[in-house]
Amino acid sequence: MTNINFTCPFCSLLCDDVQLKIKQNKLKPINSGCSLLLSSLKKNINEQFSRINGKKTNISEAIKKLSLLINESKSTLFAGMGTDIKGTRAALDIIDKYKCIVDHFSSGSYVKTLKSLQETGGFFLTLSELKNRSDTIIVIQSTGEEVPRLFEKYLFPKNTINNIKKRKIIFIGSKSPKFLQKKKKLINFEFIKLESVNLLNFISSIRKFINFKSLKTKDKKILNLLNILKKTKYGSILWSASELQEDISDIIINEINLLIQDLNKFTRFLGLSLSGSEHILTVNEVLLWQTGFPIRTSFANGFPMHDINQFSTVKLLNNKEIDLAIWINSFSEKRIIINKKIKNVLIGIPSHPQKNNVDIFIPVGTPGLDHNSHLLRIDKVVTMPLKKIRNLSLPSVEEVLKKVKVSITNDN
Amino acid sequence: MITKLKNAKIYDPINKINGKIIDLYIKNGKIIEKPQRSEKISKTINLKNKIIMAGGIDIHSHIAGGKVNLARLLLPEEHRKYLYSSSDKLRSGSGLGTCSSFHIGYKYAKLGYCAVFEPAVLPSNARSAIIEMSDIPFIDKGTYTVLSNDDFLLKLIQKKTNQKKINDYVAWILNSTKGLGIKVVNPGGINAFKFNQRELDLDEKNINYGITPRSILKTLTKSLIDLKAPHPIHVHGCNLGVPGNINTTIKQINAVQGKPMHLTHIQYHSYDNKGDKKFSSGANILANSINKNKNITCDVGQIMFGQTVTASADTMSQYRNHHFARPKKWICADIECDAGCGIVPFEYEDKNFVNSLQWAIGLELFLLIKDPWRIYLTTDHPNGAAFTAYPKLIKLLMDKTFRNNELEKINKQAQEHSVLKNLKREYDLYEIAILTRAGPAKVLGLKNIGHLGNGANANITVYNNLKDKEEMFEKPFMVFKDGNLIVKNGKIQKIVNGKFYTAETDFDKGIEKEITSYFENYMGRGIESFKIQNQELWDYGIEIENIKCNRNDY
Repeated sequence: MTNINFTCPFCSLLCDDVQLKIKQNKLKPINSGCSLLLSSLKKNINEQFSRINGKKTNISEAIKKLSLLINESKSTLFAGMGTDIKGTRAALDIIDKYKCIVDHFSSGSYVKTLKSLQETGGFFLTLSELKNRSDTIIVIQSTGEEVPRLFEKYLFPKNTINNIKKRKIIFIGSKSPKFLQKKKKLINFEFIKLESVNLLNFISSIRKFINFKSLKTKDKKILNLLNILKKTKYGSILWSASELQEDISDIIINEINLLIQDLNKFTRFLGLSLSGSEHILTVNEVLLWQTGFPIRTSFANGFPMHDINQFSTVKLLNNKEIDLAIWINSFSEKRIIINKKIKNVLIGIPSHPQKNNVDIFIPVGTPGLDHNSHLLRIDKVVTMPLKKIRNLSLPSVEEVLKKVKVSITNDN
Repeated sequence: MITKLKNAKIYDPINKINGKIIDLYIKNGKIIEKPQRSEKISKTINLKNKIIMAGGIDIHSHIAGGKVNLARLLLPEEHRKYLYSSSDKLRSGSGLGTCSSFHIGYKYAKLGYCAVFEPAVLPSNARSAIIEMSDIPFIDKGTYTVLSNDDFLLKLIQKKTNQKKINDYVAWILNSTKGLGIKVVNPGGINAFKFNQRELDLDEKNINYGITPRSILKTLTKSLIDLKAPHPIHVHGCNLGVPGNINTTIKQINAVQGKPMHLTHIQYHSYDNKGDKKFSSGANILANSINKNKNITCDVGQIMFGQTVTASADTMSQYRNHHFARPKKWICADIECDAGCGIVPFEYEDKNFVNSLQWAIGLELFLLIKDPWRIYLTTDHPNGAAFTAYPKLIKLLMDKTFRNNELEKINKQAQEHSVLKNLKREYDLYEIAILTRAGPAKVLGLKNIGHLGNGANANITVYNNLKDKEEMFEKPFMVFKDGNLIVKNGKIQKIVNGKFYTAETDFDKGIEKEITSYFENYMGRGIESFKIQNQELWDYGIEIENIKCNRNDY
């Protein structure tokens, strides 16, 4: 039995302060109660066979079969894309060459942030700036579930570089997260209760009163927040696109970005989007540098075509625009959409519950557990190195896809 | 296997060869002396009427890192204008100023460039940037790590820490981030902006730390000299783009008191505020100062007309300039207590007074700074223009008639405000070879590239000898990288990967104790996940070449 330092790959905080106890490849955290870490490590790996139509086979056969499917396909979608930098590079090598389309599990909410960014831009900050400099932090309708230790590590730090005495935390939303309620006495905490339908109006009103100083209001919520904003020296606004009301989330995010721009006319204010499960940010960064475009891009014409509406997984499946879906997830057992009218492939962790329901299943290891890896943190600036910590002989997504590419080339 | 390149005119300023016909021999990726008669020459290429220079070196070009990806994210419409299809050998891609990674390599190779240096890598973003660069084929690469705004360093300077300890920190940063050099960006200003200061001149104090840009600049300049680093301090000064900033730039030159300093994209730092528009050329003043101060080297950061995007770590300046954004959108970010970044799209127009004068100021600098060994050809890609504009820029320098014709097309008032039409100088091929390969190699302390002497890496560009210099430099006849023929007549022949240059320094490991505690208390991650290990880069197939810090000419 040994204790080791561990960098956790299960959310985009990528905490590197975790210690694990390892006994015969069983992993147990010693110093972290993170719910996502605990549930992720509990998965039992009883067997790690590849499968074709639910029947056990060896990995070479599965790879050969997959390469045949790609060769035969008229339109292939790489979906899910829960992988690391190297996995994304290996996928893009095939996607580009064989004119496929690429999307991600979390793009539904991520594209709302993306849309605002492409239209307006933004003013952002990274985690250590949030931790060390913010005297006011506004959390908009976000429970932080996708990044469980965010509040503990970055909103309530023990020390800050410039010794911020007592920071003000404001939660705007329908229900304040439990974690914030618990800390209520320790921090300067305000809860502005608002149903999500009213959120957009509220942020727009705040903008109006900032930009037109002659306008007056008696609304206490607005007056209170305006007062706080005026006193703020370095503020941050955090939001989680997946927790905003879906049909208007892109407009809300745009208003947040514009509010931040307005506030910077007289003080400093910055934003941080908290969405990004299954490492969409990592996949997106690699896509951007290799192709020039973010997620939801097609290579069907031989060059990249990006469209956040046209190339959504659900839309492509519903409109029968693809005949092969290759799902990748090396982090979790997140359910995939199986459309029986097309071929479905899952490159996933060995315990995935749908492994018998797809045409081909190829088991892979998890970055930072079964192989060395690099993943990008939520702020898109820091790439964290992760090290292999157990020996289950599970290949990485990169290893599998490199073999697939060789196999397709040999088939031709 | 030996390849012989015969009958070409050679321009190799490091070896003082000016247009002489000399045969070159390549063996195992290197240039060798004339082999013994007993040695077999496997291949002879007759290059009669051709011109040979060493592979080009771009000393300052933003080719990777978070800021470039943010620019790509911000401007999908720009990328849709430039789409590149995949082929058997090549990957697809898009973009011009923020071109996708594979195509950066393809385009540089086609221009005959073999080494490019990414000049603004934030310590926290270094790992991302280097991994990204591993997807840029052909060219050798290296990075300058940005210091001068990180809270750790500013605290050290505030506490009047001794120079030795600061040198240890600088060396530790170079080692941990795999940098070749250190870049200063608006020293203290990016940090001051985090405390809502909107301007910071050389002798103004950061309100939080009470220290001035001058003190930061002096301290870091000395560090690089003490460390005998391959490249002296690489400086993006205070007040970028501000009319009247010429005074600050001159003060900066004086501040380093004769010590080596590289001033980057000086075009953006050469503005006077004379005349009815309160914007005028300071090129003559700066050129005089650089001509006198032999310790100063510079690159120009020429602007060329058209759409581009500016990307910089200088959040203070980029925020100030966001009003000029075209299209009207921009991104800024405060980053990891070490610096920031700002992305502002720009369209430089030849009918606009300011843009026209910026264009003229860049050219004035090229023509008024006398010593070609101390000025290098850049557009601060993509800030002034994409690097693909280099052939046209070379023509502007080599062909006075062409230059004056182009001058006629710009804003009339700007023409009147510029001395450009009176400047008769025309660069010759030998001088262009200095500006684009020999000079950069020398100032970067890289001995194996930038020349064609015995033992040099066989990075060789063969040009057709054409009268139209834009045409000549746009499409080299042949390009060899480490002896491999990679481009012929503008077509890529073979994909190879370049090297990654890092500075190899030594330092007192004791400094890590303090940094460890800084990371544990403040940074939200440990020191070990900050330090980049060689193995991580080898895993991406990156060939690291360490350059020893033993420069003895400072």
